[in-house]
Amino acid sequence: MAVVGGAWSRAGMALRRALSAAGRRCAQRLCSVAPGDTIFAVSSGHGRCGVAVIRTSGPGSGGALRSLTGNAELPPPRVMALRRIRDPHTAELLDRGLVVWFPGPRSFTGEDCAELHVHGGPAVVSGVLRALGRLCGLRPAEPGEFTRRAFHRGKLDLTAAEGLRDLIHAETEAQRQQALRQMDGELGRLYRRWGETLTQALAHVEAYIDFSEDDNVEEEVLSQVDAAVRALEREMAAHLRDGRRGELLRVGVRAVIAGPPNVGKSSLLNLLCQRPAAIVSPVAGTTRDVVEVSLNVSGYPVVLSDTAGLRDATDPIEREGVSRARERLQHADLVLAVLDATSVPTDPDELGAALRSLVPPATPCVLVLNKADLLGGCTGALDACTRGSPLPPTTLLSCKTGEGTDRLLQLLGQQLAQLCGDPLAGSPSLTQSRHSAHLRGCMAALAQYRQQQDVGMAAEQLRVARRHLGHITGHVGAEDILDVIFRDFCIGK
Amino acid sequence: MLARGCWRRPALRSERRRLGSAAPRYEVVVIGGGHAGTEAAAAAARGGARTLLLTHRIGTIGEMSCNPSFGGIGKGHLVREVDALDGLCGRMCDAAGVHYKVLNRSKGPAVWGLRAQIDRQRYRDGVQKEILSTPLLTVREASVEDLLLTEPEANRPGKCQVTGVVLGDGSTVCAGSVVLTTGTFLRGRILMGLEAHPAGRLGDPPAVGLAQTLERLGFAVGRLKTGTPPRLAKDTINFSGLEERVPDNPPVPFSFLSKAVWIKPEDQLSCYLTRTNLRAQKIVLDNLHLNDHVRETTKGPRYCPSFESKVLRFPNREHQVWLEPEGLESDVIYPQGLSMTLPPELQEQVIRSIQGLENAKILQPGYGVQYDFLDPRQLAASLESRLVQRLFFAGQINGTTGYEEAAAQGVIAGINACLRVQGKPPFIVSRTEGYVGVLIDDLTTLGTTEPYRMFTSRVEFRMSLRPDNADARLTHRGFEEAGCVSQRRYEQAVQMRAALEDGIATLKSLQFSISKWSHLVPEVPISSSRRSPVSAFDILRYPEANMEILARAIPEPLRKLAEWRELSERLKIEAAYEWCVANQQQEIEEVRRDEALQLPEDIDYFAIDASLSAEVREKLNSSRPQTIGAVSRVPGVTPAAIVNLLRFVKTTYRTEKPKAFPQTGKYLPGNVDLEKANPQTQISAGISEDKLGSTVVKTPF
Repeated sequence: MAVVGGAWSRAGMALRRALSAAGRRCAQRLCSVAPGDTIFAVSSGHGRCGVAVIRTSGPGSGGALRSLTGNAELPPPRVMALRRIRDPHTAELLDRGLVVWFPGPRSFTGEDCAELHVHGGPAVVSGVLRALGRLCGLRPAEPGEFTRRAFHRGKLDLTAAEGLRDLIHAETEAQRQQALRQMDGELGRLYRRWGETLTQALAHVEAYIDFSEDDNVEEEVLSQVDAAVRALEREMAAHLRDGRRGELLRVGVRAVIAGPPNVGKSSLLNLLCQRPAAIVSPVAGTTRDVVEVSLNVSGYPVVLSDTAGLRDATDPIEREGVSRARERLQHADLVLAVLDATSVPTDPDELGAALRSLVPPATPCVLVLNKADLLGGCTGALDACTRGSPLPPTTLLSCKTGEGTDRLLQLLGQQLAQLCGDPLAGSPSLTQSRHSAHLRGCMAALAQYRQQQDVGMAAEQLRVARRHLGHITGHVGAEDILDVIFRDFCIGK
Repeated sequence: MLARGCWRRPALRSERRRLGSAAPRYEVVVIGGGHAGTEAAAAAARGGARTLLLTHRIGTIGEMSCNPSFGGIGKGHLVREVDALDGLCGRMCDAAGVHYKVLNRSKGPAVWGLRAQIDRQRYRDGVQKEILSTPLLTVREASVEDLLLTEPEANRPGKCQVTGVVLGDGSTVCAGSVVLTTGTFLRGRILMGLEAHPAGRLGDPPAVGLAQTLERLGFAVGRLKTGTPPRLAKDTINFSGLEERVPDNPPVPFSFLSKAVWIKPEDQLSCYLTRTNLRAQKIVLDNLHLNDHVRETTKGPRYCPSFESKVLRFPNREHQVWLEPEGLESDVIYPQGLSMTLPPELQEQVIRSIQGLENAKILQPGYGVQYDFLDPRQLAASLESRLVQRLFFAGQINGTTGYEEAAAQGVIAGINACLRVQGKPPFIVSRTEGYVGVLIDDLTTLGTTEPYRMFTSRVEFRMSLRPDNADARLTHRGFEEAGCVSQRRYEQAVQMRAALEDGIATLKSLQFSISKWSHLVPEVPISSSRRSPVSAFDILRYPEANMEILARAIPEPLRKLAEWRELSERLKIEAAYEWCVANQQQEIEEVRRDEALQLPEDIDYFAIDASLSAEVREKLNSSRPQTIGAVSRVPGVTPAAIVNLLRFVKTTYRTEKPKAFPQTGKYLPGNVDLEKANPQTQISAGISEDKLGSTVVKTPF
């Protein structure tokens, strides 16, 4: 018994500290959002569309609308209003769109509801979903949840009028199938493995509660569970930090402008961000440090860096600038390689070598041949050199006249679409926000687990964690837990 | 000639008239005098029904036919809940235990397991005395051969209704409702080695006629097996060198009515622990060909396996054997964990291979039992059969194992048999309200493939459904809705609830800065990162804090709270769990909301025009869930299927009247603010928004 006390009394203080800190954080984020269970989802069709409708339902709807519009006043009920929509967390402007406020019970679900009609670009939609997900008391809807709520409030007739069958399909089956499709992949295998680990951990704690007194369930199972939970937490945290496709969309694609000195890299940056963010001069080696701007290119968030021209510099400051540029290139998701159109090597091998010196292997790249205005229309030689060799997508551009900008943006858009995937095709953005919400919930519960002193309460946190994961991988019932218990222990009363 | 087993339409009227004049008539007839039967009969009688208990032998009423203990982890919760509904077993245990011990002491009060070794003789005597002196309850020795049946009532499921029973001597007894608690007696077979003979318990005949009747009526029947260990002579056991387990001092009583148990703490008996070894394993493995019970495919319990199956599943290790006393004066020791069906001479070899038992004498060999049970998915949550109206089932016949599981079902079946006669709505305990609710919902929704035993891991809301607050959860409802709770118990529960609410309010109102608290209660390590001020209730949740410490620091007004021992213990538990319980509240509300949505009982899942897959229809048809909550627990039913089902029912059954449903809720004193009124609605009734949106029950604080 003493051992148990020791094992579980580690952290009374830590728990309370964590709790009150969490409470404060929550209160800060809470702003005007009422507590309780409020759900949100994209309720327009999935896939790319001109306008996306994002809907919330629950007591927090009014507060969410106020937070996102930055306006203490709600619009008049059931009247569309044009508002700037910001992420209250970062104050970033996401979109200007139409919002509608439906106070309950005169709403689709009978609860307080809000609708945000925003531009259908993936960055906007996922930005709004992300902003909603960060509000306290809001969470992504589970399949069928809007309809269930409508039913509970006696509003099913309304949904019937809207074509219930389609709606249910969109809301449940489509999402479920998409979730299933996603579960086939690498990610699915990972989540399922976590699910199994957690099920086993929970089963062992449950066995310790239900059987340890009379049977051979020893206390050491608890330390094994502790270790498994800590490993799982570490893995989940690393996963949530990981910059894969979904994550690219969240923070933006890291695009780096690279090239020899004085080819117009800083001018390209200024052209793309439409302001003089970087100093430009005719002197080679003007840019010493990395200049970074955030951009929205074709709906994709991009963090664009301008770097020092790559050459063997003698000036120590410039040398440092070049080494920073190289480092930045190593971590780039996309490289904009800039060469001077007037002095570009015409031999394909030579050109290839020049590119290899700029772009790390296997990094997607767009080749920009700047100063096209100086060519005076003689592009024949260039065409010849680009035709025969396996070059990256290439465009002529004049930063001075702006000629070729459209073509550049088009090429960039294509590259970005490949990098990010189309986030709304198959709506992974919604699924992703559900997944990450549940993974965060799972991790929060696991953190609580470690701090519990009462084994019953600790098991409760594992149950909460398992339920969160169950939203992704499928739920686990009491019988499944018992199956593991009887598989792993000889319960012999 | 009487219609037996199935009713014959032409003769019905004259029969009934004839019976009305001749046969004795009771409102409730209970068949079986085990733990389910006694609780059912007593509950029906407490509820005001003239009740008849029929048993083979009055002398075996209250018999503990297997292990000599009551309670345990999860099971102790059930005993507390039976007691909260004024049932017998808690009080009986407090008057018959010889070794009381709360299990899981170190794991938090939500999972404490009240348990006691019971003196069999004392327990049986106590139950018989109680049953034979219960007002309105008559006890008769008779076997029941058949059921009297007649046409069903309209607007309810069922192809007929029961009106009475036919006894072994051919006479009949009329009944308003009948509760069947025949345990393992339905086609029971006892197995030992290669021998098998029909019997319920060793020495008692099985009930074959009744089993045939039930089968003829179309009840789906399954088969289960269980076993019991050999009994040993105490004076032939060498306890020296064995690990001793001492009882609690002071013992914790089971019943909310008991201030203390009957026995002096120092007079309690100990249990002893020994272990099997590889020699015992070898005897089992060498003799599997002599062991029919183990080889057969009938499902036995995974958690209470025979020694043979433990050896087969987890070979080459020691297995625990607890040596438990059977009573204060008894010379019998029950070796818990050694259930066996080997031939007796081999059982002796196994026993003698174990430390301490080298010279032990077997008084009665272990044996296996195989028996029929009825698929509990054929029952409503009231435990009334959907096939035969007014016929209730409780206990092992529903596929459960254990005295506590039987007793808990018995109370609910008895209450509902009584309410049925009185024309009142059934008394349903939700999964959110009690272990008994989880037990019955699991059985009636999911059925079972092995003997069902209660575990705390089956309970979603374990933090809220604790042994300490069973009275707050069930006693009020039992009194108000079921009428099965005595005035005395009700008043005590009301008083405790008021005191808890007052106490919590007082503690919450005492607010000081952290530095002041650190000065007042230096033994409690208060985190300095907390925001000031902090209430006494917040302080109380620290593991180091209790009411005595607080009362020493602030005698006024806390001393009088601390002096009431039960109250101060319960306040401490409420404080420790408040946070956790509050977190569960929303989920509890969700479950209740879904449980309030009743599905029509006569729905034909194969015929309805709803968008449901054939697989889902099959699943719904076999488990016949009664609420949307239950639907969502049926494995393989998708969210889309649930919504489609809701929509179908809503549009098809629009015109029917709503049924009255018992009001649940308001049992968590620490948490009433969060609790909203539970919209009890039948799906078929259109739901009024106003009613749902605005009602909030405020419990007086």
